[in-house]
This record gives sequence, C-alpha cells and structure tokens, in this order.
Amino acid sequence: MNHQIDSLPEFENHAEQETKFTTCYMCACRCGIKVTTEGNEVRFIQGNPNHPINKGVLCAKGNSGIMKQRSPAKLSKPLLRKPGTERGAGEFEEISWDEALDILTKRLKNIRATDPKKLAFFTGRDQMQALTGFWASQFGTINWAAHGGFCSVNMAAAGLYTTGHSFWEFGDPDWGLTKYFMMWGVAEDHASNPIKIGLKKLKERGAKFVAVNPVRTGYQAIADEWIAVRPGTDGMLALAMVHVLLQHDLFDDEFLVRYTNSPRLVVNTPGQVGDGLFLRNGDCQPLVYDQQSNAFVDGNRVDISPALFGDYTAPDGRPVRTVMSMLADKYLVDEYSPKKASKICGVPADTIERLALEIAHVAFKESITIDCEWTDWAGRKQTQFIGRPVSMHAMRGISAHSNGFQTCRAIHLLQVMLGTIDCPGGHLAKPPFPKHIPPNLKPARDMAPNTPLSSAPLGFPTAPEDLCIDGDGKPLRIDKAYSWDAPIAAHGLMHMVISNAVKGDPYEIDTLMLFMANMAWNSSMNTANTMAMLREKKEDGEYKIPFIVNSDAFHSEMVNYSDLVLPDTTFLERFDTISMLDRPISEPDAACDSIRQPIIEIDRDVRSWQEVLVDLAGRLDFPAFKTEQGGNKYESYKDFIINYERAPGIGFLAGWRGKDGDQHLCGEPNPKQWDAYIANECFFEYKLEPGQRYYRHANKDYLELAKKAHWVGSTDQILIEVYSEPLQKFRLAGQGLYDGPMPNNEQHKKRLTEHFDPLPYFYMPLEQQRIDKSEYRFHAVTQRPMFMYHSWDSQNAWLRQITSQNYLYMNRQECLGMGIADESWVWVESHNGKIRAQVKHMDGVESNTVWTWNAIAKAPGAWGLEKNANESKDAFLLNHLISELLPPKQSFADITNSDPVTGQAAWYDLCVKITPAADGETGAWPQFEQVQPLPNQGPSPKEISYTTHENVNLKRSFKDILTRGKK
Amino acid sequence: MKLGLVIDLDTCVGCHACATACKQWNTSGTIGPLSDQSPYGQDPNGSWLNRIRTFEVNQANTSTALVDNSKSASCGSHTFDLHALATQGESALAGVGSNGSPASKTVHMPMSCMQCEEADCVTVCPTGASYKREEDGIVLVDQDKCMGCNLCSWACPYGARELDEEQGVMKKCTLCVDRIYDQNLPESERKPACVLSCPTSSRVFGDFDDPTSEVSKLTVERAGQALMPELGYKPTNRYLPPREKGEVAAMVKTNEPALSKLKKWANRMIAR
Amino acid sequence: MKPAFSVLFFTVTSGIGYGLLMWLVGMQLVSGSVASATEVDVNNFLIMGFVGLTLATLGLLSSTLHLANPKNAWRAFSRFRTSWLSREGVFSLLYYPIILTYAFLVYLNGGELNSLSQIIGALSVLVALSVVICTGMIYASLKPIRQWHNPLVTPLYLLFSFTSGALLYVSMYAGLENEVPRSITILFLVLLVVSFISKMLYFRSIGKPDGATIGSATGFSQAHVRLLDAGHNADTFLTKEFVFDAGAMKLLRLRYLMIILAFVAPLSLVIAAMAWDIAPAIFLAMLSLYSGLFLERWLFFAEARHVVRLYHGDQRA
Ligand SMILES: Nc1nc2c(c(=O)[nH]1)N[C@H]1C(S)=C(S)[C@@H](COP(=O)(O)OP(=O)(O)OC[C@H]3O[C@@H](n4cnc5c(=O)[nH]c(N)nc54)[C@H](O)[C@@H]3O)O[C@H]1N2
Ligand SMILES: Nc1nc2c(c(=O)[nH]1)N[C@H]1C(S)=C(S)[C@@H](COP(=O)(O)OP(=O)(O)OC[C@H]3O[C@@H](n4cnc5c(=O)[nH]c(N)nc54)[C@H](O)[C@@H]3O)O[C@H]1N2
Ligand code: SF4
Ligand code: SF4
Ligand code: SF4
Ligand code: SF4
Ligand code: SF4
Ligand SMILES: [Mo]
Repeated sequence: MNHQIDSLPEFENHAEQETKFTTCYMCACRCGIKVTTEGNEVRFIQGNPNHPINKGVLCAKGNSGIMKQRSPAKLSKPLLRKPGTERGAGEFEEISWDEALDILTKRLKNIRATDPKKLAFFTGRDQMQALTGFWASQFGTINWAAHGGFCSVNMAAAGLYTTGHSFWEFGDPDWGLTKYFMMWGVAEDHASNPIKIGLKKLKERGAKFVAVNPVRTGYQAIADEWIAVRPGTDGMLALAMVHVLLQHDLFDDEFLVRYTNSPRLVVNTPGQVGDGLFLRNGDCQPLVYDQQSNAFVDGNRVDISPALFGDYTAPDGRPVRTVMSMLADKYLVDEYSPKKASKICGVPADTIERLALEIAHVAFKESITIDCEWTDWAGRKQTQFIGRPVSMHAMRGISAHSNGFQTCRAIHLLQVMLGTIDCPGGHLAKPPFPKHIPPNLKPARDMAPNTPLSSAPLGFPTAPEDLCIDGDGKPLRIDKAYSWDAPIAAHGLMHMVISNAVKGDPYEIDTLMLFMANMAWNSSMNTANTMAMLREKKEDGEYKIPFIVNSDAFHSEMVNYSDLVLPDTTFLERFDTISMLDRPISEPDAACDSIRQPIIEIDRDVRSWQEVLVDLAGRLDFPAFKTEQGGNKYESYKDFIINYERAPGIGFLAGWRGKDGDQHLCGEPNPKQWDAYIANECFFEYKLEPGQRYYRHANKDYLELAKKAHWVGSTDQILIEVYSEPLQKFRLAGQGLYDGPMPNNEQHKKRLTEHFDPLPYFYMPLEQQRIDKSEYRFHAVTQRPMFMYHSWDSQNAWLRQITSQNYLYMNRQECLGMGIADESWVWVESHNGKIRAQVKHMDGVESNTVWTWNAIAKAPGAWGLEKNANESKDAFLLNHLISELLPPKQSFADITNSDPVTGQAAWYDLCVKITPAADGETGAWPQFEQVQPLPNQGPSPKEISYTTHENVNLKRSFKDILTRGKK
Repeated sequence: MKLGLVIDLDTCVGCHACATACKQWNTSGTIGPLSDQSPYGQDPNGSWLNRIRTFEVNQANTSTALVDNSKSASCGSHTFDLHALATQGESALAGVGSNGSPASKTVHMPMSCMQCEEADCVTVCPTGASYKREEDGIVLVDQDKCMGCNLCSWACPYGARELDEEQGVMKKCTLCVDRIYDQNLPESERKPACVLSCPTSSRVFGDFDDPTSEVSKLTVERAGQALMPELGYKPTNRYLPPREKGEVAAMVKTNEPALSKLKKWANRMIAR
Repeated sequence: MKPAFSVLFFTVTSGIGYGLLMWLVGMQLVSGSVASATEVDVNNFLIMGFVGLTLATLGLLSSTLHLANPKNAWRAFSRFRTSWLSREGVFSLLYYPIILTYAFLVYLNGGELNSLSQIIGALSVLVALSVVICTGMIYASLKPIRQWHNPLVTPLYLLFSFTSGALLYVSMYAGLENEVPRSITILFLVLLVVSFISKMLYFRSIGKPDGATIGSATGFSQAHVRLLDAGHNADTFLTKEFVFDAGAMKLLRLRYLMIILAFVAPLSLVIAAMAWDIAPAIFLAMLSLYSGLFLERWLFFAEARHVVRLYHGDQRA
C-alpha cells in the first residue's frame, strides 16, 4: 500500500532490527530466506524474493523457524553415555569438546590404522554428502552412504540409467510451458515450494494436471483429474498407456531415432551367452541398421538413417532385432492391455486409454516451438527447439515400492516415446544434469589401512564386474550395497546397516557414526526391533555394535541410543554449503548453489558438524587435509570450502571463483568467496544461454559448458537408454550366461533373471508375492505432511499444534462395511507386527488403501516433549509394521525388503489387516519406555508468549468509541 | 478503501504456510504476542489468526446430504457449486469408478477475518475495543481496551476471533496493518505476511473498492464468493471456486486391432 | 454453546431480581400506595426490595466473572450506541440510583406515592424492563446462533423474569404476611401459561431446519461436504467455546424435566396452594420454578449451535 496514513504509529523499530540472508534448513528444499532479527532474537523469517528456488515464498515449516530456534530439545553440550550404564537408558554425562574429540580420534585412528571398514559412517538428511562422502573416502572406508537408499534411489537410478537426469531433485517439469502434467505418487517432495509455485503457474495457464495417487490430499486436491491407483501398480498403468500409444502408432520416431538407443540392434539368442546384448562392431561400438546404405553401421555415426523397427541376421549369423521392435512386441501383448491392467491397478480401462490418447494429443497436436539457434551434438546448427508439452513428475509413491525402479523406468519410457525429455514443455534437467548414462563413476571396493579410497564409495555399476563383492560373491559393504542383493544400490542401503552389523553379516563393525539420522525411530524399518538390536550384546558383554557416535542438534530418539553425542548447531547458527558437487539447488535454466551464514549467535557449547569433520580430518591425518609439512591444510570449514579443489578450478562453491572473484563455475580459489556469496544474498545463479537450455543431452554448447564445469566428463551425446544393456548383463549373470562374476545361490539367480529386465516391466511388489493378500487386504502407506519434516517438527510449538496425533485414514465405505466408526481405534497388523491406531474416515482414498502422516509419533520424553504429549500417547508409527526383511519364503535366506535392483527400501509395499479394537482399547500401542531427560535439561515451558518487542498497539480514540454509530 | 483478501480454492494445497506466516509475524506484531498453551505437552493450542480447514466435497452423495442443504441451495446466486464439476465429471472425478472410491474432491479452505462490512463483532463489543477502520475497512481489536468478554467471537460466524488465554484479550487478523502501511518496507513487501508467503499465490490482497485492483478483477472473472452471505455480514474476503477444467482433446483411435506380432511397422527415413 | 455457570447464574438470578422489583413497584404504581397494592407494609416492602436488588446485583457481579480481562470491565459502558451488552450495563447501573431514590421517597412518605415517586417508580420499571430486554437482545442479536437469533428469545427473557419475580413476590409475601396474595398469584399463573406456550413455540421454531449449512459455509451448496481436517489436533478457543454436545436424547429428557420443573410443578403447586391455602406449597413451587429456569437457561445454551461448528465437523453425516 502506498497510502501514507499519518495517524499510524511506528509499529516496528527498524533501527534496532537487522536483516540478513541465508538458506532455510527446515527441510531439504533449501529456500532462500531473509531473516530480520532484534538483538539475538528472530523477529521474522521471510522468503527471499530473488532466490531461484522459492522466489520469495515460504512453507509452513520455514515460517516456523523461530520455534525451532527456541526448541527445548536443542542439545547444548557433548554427551558421553555414563560408563557402566546401559545403552538406551539415557544416562549421559556432559563432557567437553576436547574430551569428545579425543575419545573419537583415538578410536577412529585405531580403526583407520587396522581395518577401516570397521567404521560405518551413514548420514540422513545430509545436504553435504560431497563432504561426508569425501571424508569417508579419505578415511578409507567404503561403508559410507547417505539416506538415498531408503529414500528414493529408485528415482535417481532409474533416471540416471535411462535419461541422464531424473525426477527427485535432478529435474523439473517445464512449469512455464507444459500443457499436460501427470504427477505420480507425490505428496510434498523435496522441491516443496518449487512444486507449489509450478502448480500455480500451470493452473493459471489452464494446463491439465492429472494426479496419480491412491490418496486425494494436498497437490492431488487441486488436480483436474485424480487417478486413484492401487499402491504398487503404477508400472502396470504406465505400461498399459505405452500399449495404447503403440497400438495407435503414437510415438515420436524422430526423437527415438536421434536421441535414444531404440534403433540399436539387440542379439536375440535366448539361452546363450551374449543374448540381449547389443550387436557391436570390432571397436565395440553398437550397431544399427542404416536404411541409406542398407548395412549394419556404427550407431553413433551422424550420416545415417537407422531403422527403428526390424529383425535382421547379423553378419555373424546371429538373429538381431531393434530395441523398438522388442519393445513393441513386449507391450502390445494382452497382458498390458488397458483391460487387463485395469484389474491390477484399479483404474478403469477406458480411463487408461483416454489418458494415453490425451497425452499423445498434447505432445503431437499441440506441440510448441521455440525459435532459437542451437548446435546439436554433431555440430549441426538448428533453428528451433521443438517442444512436446507433456510433463511428468514422480516420487516416493513410485520409489518406495520394491518394483519402483522398473516402474520409474516405465514412466520414463512414456516420456521418451512422446519425446518430452528436456524439451520445451517437457521434463527438464537441472545442471549439473544430465549426465552420461550411467554416470561414469564406479563404487570403490579396495581398502587398506591408513589409505584413502581411490574413488568415492558410491557409484554406478554397469556390469557384474563392478560389484562390491569378494571372490566368493560375499558382500564387501556392511549394507550389502552392490552385492547380488542389490547390484545397482547407487545410494547404499542405510536401512540395512544396523540389522546387518548386529548379525555380523557380512562382518562385525566397531563404530557406527551417524549424522542427522534418526535410526532408532522413524527412519528405520521395524523400529521396536531396531531399538532392541541397538542394545544387543555379544557373549563377552560388549555391544554388537560396540560404539555409536551421533551428530544431532536435538534430543532425538537416536541420541538416546548413542554412546557419544556431538551436538550440532541449528541452521540459523552456522556456515554451510549447498554445493553443485552434491544435490544442486539449480533450476532448469540456471546452475545454482548457495550457502548458509550464522544469523543467531550460539548460546550453547555446540559445533557445526562440518566444522567437526574438518577438525577430525586434521586429527586423523587425512592426506587431503594435510600440508606437505604435516600441518593442517585448512584451519576451518570455511577455509576448506574456499580452498579445497576437487579438480583444478573446481571446488565446493561455483560462484565468484578466481583470485579476484570474477570467474564462475571454474577458477582458482577466491579468498573472499564467502563474502561474495553473502553480498549476493547467499546464493549463486549462473543462467544458461537460451541456446543451452534444451535438448542438453545432445546440445553441443551446453555439453561444452558442462564439461568445463566438470559436470560431465565428455561432450559426447548423452544417448537416452530405452533399453538398458547394463541390466541385461546382470540378468545374464542370473541366468548363468555371463562371462564374469555370477551369483551362486538360487534366490539371487532368480532375482536377477526376473527383475533385471532391460526393458521396463511390471511385477507385483515383493512383499505381496509372499503374503496372503486376502488376509492382509489393505495397502498401508505414509504421506509427508506439508507442515512437518520427518521427526524434526514435533519439537516446534507451532507446527505441533497443527498435528500432534496422526490418524489412520481409511475409505469411508470400507469402514462402514467393516463396522469401523469414525475416530474409533483399530488394530493394524502386518506379517511383521501389530499396532493400534485411531481411524478417520475419508472419501478421497482408494478403497484398498489406508494411509497416515509420516513420523508424527515420538518416544515419550524425547524431543523436549512432556511425557503425556499426544505424539507419544496417541500417535503411531507404521514403521513397526514394516520389516527390513521380506516375509520368509521356504528355502530362501533372509533378504532385504528392498527393490531387487537398487536396494531402495520398500516402505510402501506394506500390507495390513485391520480389525476394530475392543471397547476400552484406546491409545496408541505399543508404548515405549520413557526417555530420560538429558543432564541439566529443565522442564519445557508450559506456556509461550513469544515476541521480540513490546507490541505497539493501534489505539482507538475514546472519542470515536463514544461517538461512532453502527458503521 | 475496502481492503481484504481473495483466496483461490482452485490452487490452495492446504500447506498451512499462511497460517504459520501469520503466527510468526503477528506474535511480534501490533497485537502480539499470540500465546501458546501446553506448547510441549498434551493438547497444545494457542491463538492463531488464520487456520486451514480441509473438506471433502462429494457430489455422489448429495442425496444423503443434510436436509437443510436444500435451503441454502436456494440462495443460489451466492453459492458456487460443484454440480458442473461433477457432470463434467468424466474429467474431474473419473479414475475412481471401478475401485469403489467415491467421486470426492478435497478442498482446502484457509480462513481468517473476512473484514465484514456489516461486522456484528464490532456492533456487539461493549468496550469499543473492536472497531472497523473507516479509512480502509480493517476490523481491529484495540488490545488495551478489550475486557475479554468473548461476545465478539460469538457474533462472528467465521471463527475469526480467538481469545488469547494468557493475555485475556481478543485476537484477530489485522490484515497485517503493521506491514501494509510500513513505508520502511520495500513496496513489494507491503503485503500481509500470509500473502507474501503463500507458495501457490492463492492469497491476494487489495482494495475491493478499486475496480481495477487485482482482487476486484479476480472476483469478477472467477465469480469470487462470500461465505454464508445469508447471514448478512457482507464479508469482504472472497473465495474463488475451483476451476472447471474442460475436456482435453484426445488422439483419435486408429482402428487397427494391433495384435502384437501381426503388426507391420513402417520405418521412416529419419536422419540421425 | 458451552453453558457457563456464571452466565446461567447471572441471567436467571438477575431476571428474578428485576422481576420482583418490577412487580413491587409496578403494583404500587397501579394502586398508588404500597399497602393498597402490595398489601405489605413499608418495612416488608423494603425487605423484598432489598432481596430483589441483591439478586440483580449478584447476577451482575457473576457476569463479570467470565471476563478474561476484568480490569477493562468499566469500559463496557462506552458502546451504548450499538452494543446490547453495553446497554445492559448502562441500564443496570442506572437502575441503582433510580430504584434507591424511589425506595427512599416511598420510605419518606410512609408508603404513599406522590407524583415524583410515581415518575421515578415508573422510570425504575422501565429501566428494569430495559435491562431484561437488553439481556435478551444480547442473545437475540447474535445471528450466528440461530437458536438465539429468534424473535421469541427476548419475550421469553421478559416472561421468565416476570414469572419468576412474581413467584418470588408471592412466596416472600406468603412468608412475611403468612397468606397467599390472590391477584398477583393469578397473574403469575396466567403468565406461566403464556411462558409455557411461548417456550413451546420457541422449541418448535428452533426445531425446524434453518440457517447456514456447511453448503453455504463453504460455498459448495450442491454437494455433500464433510470436514476432513480442522487444521489442528487439540481443542482451540473456538471448539472450547462453541462445541458442546450433550447428546440429543439427553437434551430431550432434560427438556421434559425442564417443563415439569418450570411449568407443570409450579402451576400445580401454586394452584394447590391457592385452593387450599397451603403456603409451603408456594415455596416448593418457587424451588421448582427456579431449578426449572436454571435448566431452561442451561438448555438455552446447550441447544444453541454456533455456525462456526460447521467448520469443525458438525456436518459430519
Ligand atoms: N514437508 C515435508 N517435506 C518433505 C519431507 C517431509 O518429511 N516433510 N521429506 C522429504 C523427503 S526425505 C522425501 S524422500 C520427499 C518425499 O516426497 P514425496 O514423494 O512427496 O513423498 P511421500 O510423502 O512419501 O508421498 C508419496 C505419495 O505417494 C502416494 N503413494 C503411495 N503409494 C503409491 C503408489 O503405489 N502409487 C502412486 N501413484 N502413489 C502412491 C502417497 O499417497 C503419497 O501421496 O519429501 C521431502 N520433503
Ligand atoms: N514409515 C515411513 N518411514 C520412513 C519414510 C516413510 O515414508 N514412511 N520415509 C523414509 C525417508 S524417504 C527418509 S529420507 C527417512 C528420513 O529419516 P532421517 O533422515 O532419519 O530423518 P529424521 O528422522 O527426520 O531426522 C534425522 C535427525 O536429524 C536431526 N537433525 C535435525 N537438524 C539437524 C541439524 O541441523 N544437525 C544435525 N546434526 N542433526 C539435525 C534430527 O534431530 C533427527 O534426529 O525416513 C524414512 N522413514
Ligand atoms: S520448503 Fe520450507 S522448510 Fe524447506 S527449505 Fe523451503 S522454506 Fe524451508
Ligand atoms: S499458504 Fe496458500 S496454499 Fe498454503 S494453505 Fe495458505 S492459502 Fe493455501
Ligand atoms: S469475520 Fe468475524 S471478526 Fe472478522 S469482521 Fe467478520 S464478523 Fe468480525
Ligand atoms: S472480547 Fe474484547 S473485543 Fe470482544 S467484545 Fe469483548 S471487549 Fe469487545
Ligand atoms: S492478513 Fe495478516 S493477520 Fe490476517 S491472516 Fe494474513 S497474516 Fe494473518
Ligand atoms: Mo527421503
């Protein structure tokens, strides 16, 4: 408002306020914020309007930062479990940082000098995996991973093995241009604010928004069409749509020929070595059938017109077929017809057909062009970008199933057939993506005392040779990632670490170091049992996991189960980096990274974990952290961020590099880099030229930039892999037809043969294959509430007022049929266990599905909550019902409840039966022991009246009171 | 001036950002603090000026609707309806049939003070603490004059007033009067905290007296509705009903039976 | 609405007090002297007046008990222009000097009225009437509560004030003078019957479906609307203040009990007392009527449903 209203008092004393920019960390979306403080108190947190991620808006959590900063659950001093007390009993003593770091250094030094793999270092909601991963490889342990394995590695892997970028954080729908948007299994996502901003844009333009989700809340609420799919069956739905597209010749053959491997020739010799691999020439280059020369030619050549379809006989006499021919045969069978699919996914056949015909119409009849010069991978000048304005986004509704990898590939296949990859209106990559398929990085395998790994612990296997197994096929990693259990476990299997370590399978470890992961509660499967495992001892009385170190900022359940607790700062108290080397905050048209800076002065004896890692690296003599003279190379985290170069000119921060700060993406370290970021509101944004913004998998100008910035290793075309040869190699290994490592147990053979299909396919989620579906009739899934982040926000006095108890939402008609009243209590039982929960009726939920908000329940006494808090009395965790192992099947050894390809935790495969609780059976069950207060922890406030200054009341004059009439 | 908000039900995802933005701004604002009781204990609650309610709207079940639905249906012109939404239902409500899920739409409805023109909350207030500003129509509570009798909250049909338990005075949305006129804020930020924050821009602030303002235009274009108009409060705030998305064109089916192996694929000459 | 004891106590008690005083003064005005009208002597008149005023005062005081910020209570007089609550405050305060002056004049004149005391007396009746009307209007003016926003509400407040005042008059008279005063007792009976009929009409009127529905509250008038989530887990000020559910059956039973206590029993007892001159029956009748009125007031709250409940799940099918 412009009107100067003179009568108004000065509400805010701006002279006493300070405004600083930083990056929010109430969740992993990483929005830019502008924080106004008074003294050392936060007056107001608002979105930074200039920030590429959130463009000024803020979510419910971000708006509640004040109450996070004031949480009574904040840790204040390093804690050591009192000698002689039991782990989990919550008896701690406060120690100094010197003591804490001495204890830790001694222990880690010894491990590093003897058997580095005995340190397992796993991180949860970590945004600095580039640092933690680097730290682990300097330490020399391959037992490192972040949360990706239990989060959404299915999405990352499916994307990186198919299109070179992916859903999750590595791509975005083209919100500005898309005309038809399908959202598969997303409640909130990491891109919390960007999706909301995008959906608004899309709806304003009148684009169609279709939500595929068994539940209608949040985003689905505003969808134009809601597809109430049955959980775990999206693969069927997507492939039935593929069936319809094929049936009516609706695919972009130009796109397929130019940008994908679909014209490639596949050897068709079932039962023989080499079956299903590409036909290659002497230089090992894959061949296609060129229609100009009527010959088999190197498929990478520019001057050819490959046949998309065809069956041929190769010069060596073997039958070969194009990928596209295989694909057409595979999906045109009746099994994938809408009618058959409908029975499985619950979506009416005519709806499936209509959806396919609608997206095809938008892609082909409503395509868009952007006039813009660009150069393709072969150096040919082009004058426009053609856009097929259909886009998709998918997340955990797809990934958290044991068929998620193949389902996600099926969705990518839909996109690829329509040619909507990285084109105007389609699904766009965000730098540093796309990468070559898969990224050229193999998981580290070899370890030696006091020696850094030769590469990063995590990578992308392309063949059985790349697995982390020993000569006997035994897993080398504690989480069994990259073993026959989960060959393409690109993010590790954090959910298996505790279970494996306690069993000593594949071996025992000494120290488990956790950062930002609440493994004793909401981030583990089988929670009650996990807590018991953490307490399990060997015969000699030592814990099976001898030492647990945890960096947390708050009094979480995991803190209670730790031996050494290193208290972290809050996000408003520290320097931090959100790096391009990690999960970037980039937008499709700009490469971006950002930092955090302290806004509030620390009032406790806490240190940021990043600072601690750099300190420890020095103490442990990691080569990259030492000068030649043996001194510490970096005096602090800030110093490390500025000066460390991964490759010449490439560091953690991409902006303002070079001595004078005038180079971007690549350049010498700049001693004033932090200041430059702070001056630029704590973020860096490198806008791509218009000619670099689309078709980046085949865009020369873009690829050259990407190479310079070390985002990719070469400027070769990134060829989209409709057919995945790496998968076929694993499948051959399962079939006993591979010329290299092969599994020797039946279970693994079967898993590889079945699930490593080089073309996406649908199979029932594994848990369902092993239980009685008629008994465990309901699918049970969780959703992220938009107003809470995992376990983080029950300590937040404002956010917990929105929800302090979760309910089990059930279809109302089902409930009426079963005699389950609204708000009554029920028993929910899975093959793994039983809980009691309170039901709420809902119309907008698929009738075979029940759902609840994730991670509302808390152990009594944790998180600064009083013991009778609703979170511990009435709220419940579905995690108790989910087993980290699949239900037993005769003759098969225990095997992880995960996607057989990627090891992604299959949270949403859970099936349950539901029975009304008896009269008087109320309250959540099971109930857990009270978590003891920490030393010097006072009672939490009984009332809050937060304000940073006395209010300036707007007074009504007494005259007005006495004289004004009605109006 | 007649200041108020337009709220877009077509795009509100129910994220509660506007509610917490409101809470954090106003707890240190002109009517602050907004106290919270049992913040870390059982049944936490406090005073809020803006709350998000979520409804399920179900056309399929109209017949079982409350008897008195018929009554308000008769004030037809005031109410937008889902009827059309359901009849074009193929699109809005399809995908549900066979698995038994009803044709249900979820609607998030953020609610704060409507800055009513006929604000009975003001009329009933015995102390004069509640008043409607003549210059812009904002309804406020003078914190120094309220005696905490609750009568104004009884008079408010929209649940927009909450007594602050700790301070014993009535709290309500101020339309962020302490932001919108603050010349020290950048002009683009002279907006209510909730409007600034809303990730889907589903909240728009402006002057309804000005026909060229965004709020006026939206109200006209999208048939912005007042809630419970029959009570005669003349609420200023308007709610934009969910849009009705027309049918999207689909490709015409070819008639080929397309049985897998029988299909003859034609290769086009496509240069790589 | 949640029945708050202080408010029930206030409305019933002050209603009785003002009723009694209106009768006392009114009867005198009609007949021109204390003795001839009320058949009580001046002393007894003063005693009865004192009782009436005490009841009215107690009621008023108790009404301030529910204020969350009583230090600003004095400000309640300032919005006479629009607020019935303010008006009630002003009238009830105004009443004291008037009724005290009247009593003083009557006392000075040994129970005889002169024109000054007649004017002041009439004024006192008018002001007392106004207080009771204001009390009724406080409720009747609240549109969000259709059980209150009803044309019968204010008349009923008046009627109950009259009947309860009359019965107190009768019983005090019976106590003090040891006999049942005919005329006023008959008036009481007539008023009780009128009140009964009015209350029944009121019940019938609020029994009809009417008012805002979840359809108009959300704008979705053609569909079935159910609350899925109120946006908070625990009770809030709004739910604590407005959501009160006694259960339909319980409410119905209490209605019957109320009818017996407030109407049937007093009517029979008073007729019996009159017919056989059993004064103690009057006391019983009074006890019954007052408990009946408490119950009536409790029901008045308990049956009142604020429209804001629609936003908290009241429409659940
Ligand atoms: N506010 C908030 N934001 C967060 C988080 C948080 O805790 N709070 N967590 C962050 C993290 S770690 C992650 S991984 C992301 C996850 O973000 P999302 O992917 O949005 O994760 P979920 O909330 O698990 O949502 C999964 C959705 O899939 C649906 N669903 C379940 N099964 C199926 C299925 O088989 N098919 C389909 N189509 N849908 C299905 C569920 O109903 C739900 O709506 O969110 C991140 N963002
Ligand atoms: N049933 C079910 N379970 C699930 C899921 C599901 O959908 N359903 N989702 C899974 C998924 S996708 C994920 S990603 C995981 C998430 O699981 P986790 O990654 O374990 O996430 P949280 O438990 O929320 O947070 C971990 C810890 O971070 C701490 N923390 C918060 N801020 C800081 C800080 O600044 N510094 C430090 N050092 N620590 C901090 C918190 O106190 C908490 O103890 O949950 C998984 N669990
Ligand atoms: S989405 Fe919300 S919590 Fe996450 S970073 Fe952005 S503002 Fe913060
Ligand atoms: S912030 Fe916007 S989208 Fe979120 S609840 Fe409020 S109005 Fe709806
Ligand atoms: S919404 Fe309620 S508080 Fe706001 S002006 Fe209208 S009646 Fe008053
Ligand atoms: S609570 Fe305060 S603002 Fe409301 S009517 Fe009473 S005095 Fe007025
Ligand atoms: S206008 Fe201001 S006070 Fe009103 S709801 Fe929005 S943020 Fe709250
Ligand atoms: Mo996650």
